[in-house]
Order: sequence, then structure tokens, then C-alpha cells
Amino acid sequence: MAAEFEPRIVAFLCKWCSSAGADLAGVSRMEYPPNVIPIQVMCSGSVSPLYVFSALSHGADGVLVSGCHPGDCHYIKGNYYARRRLALVKKLLEYIGLEPQRFQMSWVSATEGVKFSQLIYDLVKELKPLGPQTKFRRNY
Amino acid sequence: MMEKTILKSSFPQWIKSLQSFKVFIPKRENFGWELSSNNQILEIASDYTYPVVPPKKLIFPQEEIFFEFEQNPDNGIELKEVLPEESPQVIFGVRPCDGRAVEAMDLVFGGSFEDLYYWRRRRQTTLVGLACHQPPSENCFCLSVEGSPYSEDGLDILLTDLGDRYFVKALTEKGEKLLSEAPSLFKEITPKDREEKERVHLEAQGKIKRHLNGARELPEKIKAIFDSNFWDEESSNCLRCGICTYLCPTCHCFDINDETKSLAPLRGRRIRTWDTCQFPDFTMHSSGHNPRPDRASRLRQRLAHKFLYFILLYDRFQCVGCGRCISLCPVGIDIIEVLTRARNHGK
Amino acid sequence: MVSLDQLKEEVKKALSSGKVKYFIGYENIGSGWQVRPAFIRQPEDVDRLVWTPACFHNLVRFLHDEKRRRAREKNPDIRPVGLVVKGCDSRSINVLLQEKYIERNDVYIIGVSCELTGVINITKLNQHLNGLKPQKVLFGSKGTFKVIVDDREIEIEAPDILADRCLECPANFPVIADVILGEEIKRNPGNRYQSISAYEKMALDERWSFWQQQFSRCLRCYACRSVCPMCYCDECVADSIAYAVTAETTADEKAQKTRWVERNPELSENIFYHLVRAIHLAGRCVDCGECERVCPVEIPLRLLNKKMEKEAKELFGYEVGFDPAQPPLIACFRDNDPQDFIR
Ligand code: SF4
Ligand code: SF4
Ligand code: SF4
Repeated sequence: MAAEFEPRIVAFLCKWCSSAGADLAGVSRMEYPPNVIPIQVMCSGSVSPLYVFSALSHGADGVLVSGCHPGDCHYIKGNYYARRRLALVKKLLEYIGLEPQRFQMSWVSATEGVKFSQLIYDLVKELKPLGPQTKFRRNY
Repeated sequence: MMEKTILKSSFPQWIKSLQSFKVFIPKRENFGWELSSNNQILEIASDYTYPVVPPKKLIFPQEEIFFEFEQNPDNGIELKEVLPEESPQVIFGVRPCDGRAVEAMDLVFGGSFEDLYYWRRRRQTTLVGLACHQPPSENCFCLSVEGSPYSEDGLDILLTDLGDRYFVKALTEKGEKLLSEAPSLFKEITPKDREEKERVHLEAQGKIKRHLNGARELPEKIKAIFDSNFWDEESSNCLRCGICTYLCPTCHCFDINDETKSLAPLRGRRIRTWDTCQFPDFTMHSSGHNPRPDRASRLRQRLAHKFLYFILLYDRFQCVGCGRCISLCPVGIDIIEVLTRARNHGK
Repeated sequence: MVSLDQLKEEVKKALSSGKVKYFIGYENIGSGWQVRPAFIRQPEDVDRLVWTPACFHNLVRFLHDEKRRRAREKNPDIRPVGLVVKGCDSRSINVLLQEKYIERNDVYIIGVSCELTGVINITKLNQHLNGLKPQKVLFGSKGTFKVIVDDREIEIEAPDILADRCLECPANFPVIADVILGEEIKRNPGNRYQSISAYEKMALDERWSFWQQQFSRCLRCYACRSVCPMCYCDECVADSIAYAVTAETTADEKAQKTRWVERNPELSENIFYHLVRAIHLAGRCVDCGECERVCPVEIPLRLLNKKMEKEAKELFGYEVGFDPAQPPLIACFRDNDPQDFIR
């Protein structure tokens, strides 16, 4: 039997909350699937739509952007900008025909190790049946 | 040279006989005509004009991979040459202007240095021309640039539509080979066929509405007004898009880039893509200096390449009068008008 | 009705008083009925001007050239440039003002009302005429177009040949201008998002196969970008080298420049280009329809931008181009912006 498909998820995590949350999951020895490629960014508000498109074009099966809960942004407003901008990105990607599961956004605080690990479980579970993302992927 | 006729009703059989070739035939798309190899179409539609993207794209494709590179474990770089596939192709419905355009490109990619990639495709290509009954565009002006609606230049076969049949003139060995794939379909010509063909050709010539007079005087004239502000005025509404050149059947400028797939180990490929003198970055130096910094110098370049430099090099125009750049320009820049004004400039 | 004589008079006034540096309007191409942007520099040249249903070009785009010229010249003439603008075009001026790309006195605006019509779509006109060649295309009375064919006059109901964007136009009247010609009659636009509804309803894979077909034929001629009043970036992610390279740019900076999009016209790169463009136009595109009009292989770009326009309106209550003082769509937020998609 062929090995089960393991999706690769590129996760843009803000330094102050989500990245710390992921670390907490790690130091608390919570398990979560190894499918995530974490990329630390200073703020979810600094995630340009280009990053998302680029991850997809480089073959990511899923992309996650995660930041602090509303009201908790280290830079006060960054996650509000992200929320608006990435809502548009999500609508656009789906309109072109990308499966909605492939682009996700979440709020994960520094104390939410459990939430982070559960989120990754869920994403992997949702992405597996879709198979590899080939629509936007470069062909060479 | 071989002259025959083929009934239109036999045409599909001829196409079917060309099993060993990839066959391109004009297909109607919502945006206009396209040369398609989907094997569904077995005839040339009676209302076919010419393809939006000229046949050059099948010989000089927008993207050509030269080679792939990969870093090996002891840090050397391995190169893997990538050559166009061995796959002979036949293009039906090449209009005489587009045939002449391929001939002009042959000069560029030939001569003392032969472009391997170009010629590999070119040698495998058989161009089946179709003489124009009607000018495919209201902006056709082939007669003014030493062409005609029945020019044979660059073609392997020229077809002339005689109603229920085509007059078939095989012009090269490649062309004759195509007829030999289904010899029984071709009939000997009669004097009447020939007469009719001549008549059709002559009539077509009369239907061409646009003319660029005195094109041979242009090289001198362009030189004379090279530094004049004529070009500023003419280019004032130019958008610097690539339509006029990308869709020109003779424009052949390209860019070469390395595309890296991975940095460690280094892996990627070198590719050639179309480029155009109309993009501001075409002549951008790495210092930031741009010798053609404005629209005026870029418009001048496009016209001077076609009506001055090419003539100096090869004694022929690098414009075949297909009219595409006129019809498709978003802001109505009209090469005939601009050159006519250039010719009269200062008079 | 917009009076051409009045238009010429206004332009003449602006030029002879030295109020404007030059004026951009429309003129006929040759002796035909089609038009192109015309640069009028002398008062006596105003007779070249026309105003017809074929004046679809958005002239606002030429303000970019003027801005670049000013940046290049040592002692630039900083008088305003005069423009003829329609309703949609005027909204793009508002966006440029909003983004502080230009200032109000960089442009002298003669606004024209589309009244009960708008501009035509040439393909629709040709289909309507069924092979006949128009000699002239003019505004008719009361919401019609008058087309002269074989020296006969044909009256066509506007909706039959109007450009799609005009059918969905939110305001067929200039929202910012120094002089306004014509009456402010509002044509009922119907459903502003009619053109995209069929695509929104499609199944995901159907939509993908539609867009895949569209994008795969893109030639990356960048006409869509070049014609757009909003595409003024000096450095576009789609370019393999940056226009913004100057003598001061270091070799290191050049080498480090991220290449987001490769130059090859494969599907992945074409999609990337169009995604970037669509998202960068969200909240900025005024639906002047120019990108779609100029595409030589007729990629329906409006469908992308219209979708973003609709989402901006539905999710954030944001309307493009009506208020030069409002902040740009993605440079503002509301506390209650929807977040049901966030986990
Ligand atoms: S979109 Fe509106 S303002 Fe623009 S031309 Fe059409 S009707 Fe006029
Ligand atoms: S105008 Fe059309 S072909 Fe050219 S880049 Fe834009 S979408 Fe592609
Ligand atoms: S994206 Fe297209 S419709 Fe929108 S402003 Fe630009 S050219 Fe006009």
C-alpha cells in the first residue's frame, strides 16, 4: 500500500502569540503532527498576500496564518488589518477554485498550546482527503 | 515545385493521413482564431481570418528551456541540456504575411550563428500557407512592404481556395512530402484551375485597403529625424504594454533567466522567454541607467528596427504588413500613420 | 446631452488661459469611428476633440506618466494636466487622491455625464450589426445609440451594446470635477454584480477549470497592468528586474531582490501575477473595465476585480472611489469586521 499522503502546511505564526503558543505546545510535550513548517513573523499584520500565494506556488498543501486574539496584538492593530486583508485573500482563492480548507487563519495566544496542537490535528485531518495541492504549484 | 488540386471534400482525408505529424489547424475561440492541435478539426473554416497569436509561437515559443542545472554532492554543477522534442509539425492556414515573417526570423536566428533551439523546431515545421481571398484584417497592408496576399515566401505549400477545391502549390521538398502522404487525393491541374487561381490572387490584391507609400524611403528618413521630437508626440499615448510586439509575427526579442527551484543544493534551469523593447526594463542596465528611458525612444526603436536596421542588415523590411499591431493597440497607435507622418515630417 | 462644442470651448479656455499644461481628450482614429486618447497642446487643436460612445479609455492613467516626467525633469512645469473623465474615470481620480499619489491641483477635470447610456462594447456592437461595418457611432436620444451603417441610421437600445461595466455602473456621473457637462441622470444599474453571479454559483472544480483555461492563455503582455489607472507601482512584483533600480542600488540589493513571479508564461506564474494584481486592486479598482477591454486574448479580468469589489462592499461596507478622504480599504478596519472564518 502506498504511504498515506502527508500534507505540508506552511504556517505563518506571529512572534508574540501564535509562535509562543506553538512553543508552549512543544515544551509541554503535547503531540501534534509534524506536517507544519512554521515561519515566524513579527505580526500577522505583516503577512503579505504574496507570502500566501508564494507558499502555494512553491507547493504548500495548506497555508495557515495565525496571530494574537483581537485586542491582544503587540502592535495594537496588526491582527485587525490581517483579518481584513486575509479575508479578501481567502475569498479570492476560493473564487479561483482553491479548496477552502487550504487557506486558514487562526487566533492562538501564547498560552494556547492545547489549541494550537488541536488546530494542527484538525488541519491535517481536513487536508489529507484533498491530496496534494497542484493547482497553484509550479511545475518544475 | 509541384502543382495539384485537392477537393475540399477530400481535405479531411489528407489531414488524417498526416499521422506522423502534429497538425495545427485554425480553431475559433471566443477571443479570435487560434492554431490548435486538438485533432478534432479537419478543415479550414471558410470565415477563417488569421490567428491572434501568429504562428511564430510554434517555432519560437514564448518559453524555451535551454538546460537544467544541479549542484552535485562535491559542489560541482551538473548541466543537463534540454532540447525541443523531436516532433515534426504541420501548420495549416499560415497566411502569406506570417510565412514571410518566419522567413525574416530565419535570418535572425540563422546566419553565422545558428540558434540551436530555433532551428530544431524550424526544421521540423512544415508551413502550409493559405492565400488570402479577403484581407484577414481591415488593417492589412502587405502590398506596401513587398508582400502580397499570395506570397510564397517562407512557405512549404501555398493553398488557394477555389470554392470546392484548393489549388495546391508545393514549394519545397517538405511540402512535396506532405502531398506524398496521400497522393491519390491530389489531382492534376487543368488550365482552368490555373486561370482561376490567378484571378483569385489578383482580386484579393485589389481588396487590400491600406497602404504605406514609399516604404523604401523610410530608412533614410528615420535616420534624419532620429533625434527629433517627432517621436515624443507620436508616442504620447503609448501605454508601454507588450501587445504590438508579442503579437507581431516578426518580433523576436527575448530575455534569458535562471529560475532556481532550490538554493541548497542549487537546482534550477535556464530559460528563454519573449521580451519586448516596449517594456521599460528591456534596456535597463544593472547600473540603473536606461539608454531608452522613455516611450519616445521605445516607439522609435520598434519602428527603426523594422524599417531601418533590418533593411541595413538584410535588405528587407522586418514588417510584413499583417496589421495586428494596429488592430490590437489599446490606444490606436497606427504604424502606417506614424510612418506616413515620419516620411512627410519637415516637408 | 453633452455638447461637444461646449467641451471644446472649455478646453480652449483652459489652454489659452494657461491654466493647464496640456489637455487629454479623445479624437477619431483616421477617418473611422473609433477613437483614441488625444493630447491637445494648443487652443487651436481643440477641433480634434470628439465625444462618442467609443470613448471608453480611462485617461486618468496618463497622470502616472506626468508624475514620472515631473520626477525626471529638473524644473518641471507643474501646472495641472487637463482630462476628460466619465463617472468611472472620476472615481479613479478619487482613489489616486486618497492614496496621495496626486494632489487635487495636479489635475483639471472636465467631467462628462454618461446620462442614460455609457460606452459601447465593440464585440457586442459587431454582433448586433451582424457583419455590417459601422461608419459612425453616436449617442442617440433617450438612452439609445445611433449607428450609421451604409449611410443608413440605426437606433440601438443602449443595453444591447453597452459595455458590461456600464450595465453595472454605480454612478454614471462624475463624482469629482472642475466643470461638468451633461445632466446628472441616473441610469438604473440593476444588479451591480450580475456578471459574477454565475461564477459564484459554480462548483469549485468547475470554477477552477474555468479560470485555468483563462489564465493559461495569458501572454503576460501586461497591457492590463499598463492601462490601469491604479497600477502605478514603479516596481511590480511581476517584473524580473525592478524599474526602481537606480545608480544607488547596490549589487547586494539587486541580488537579494525576491523574484516572486518568474517570467515564464506557465500557468503557475500567470496565476500568481493575476492573484497579486487582483488583491492589490481590491478596494482600488473602480471598474473602468479597461484591463478587460485591452486584453488581446480576452481574459475576463473584470470578473476578478468585480468579485473583490463585491466582497469589500459586503464584508466591510466599503465603496470605492466616492470619497477621497476615506482611508484605503486595507489600511483601515472596523472592530466588528467579520471573523467567522478564523479558527
Ligand atoms: S462605467 Fe459608468 S461612468 Fe463609466 S462609462 Fe460606463 S456608464 Fe459611464
Ligand atoms: S492583457 Fe491579457 S494577455 Fe496581457 S498580461 Fe493582461 S491578461 Fe495577460
Ligand atoms: S483593474 Fe481594470 S477595471 Fe479596475 S481600475 Fe484597473 S483597469 Fe480599471
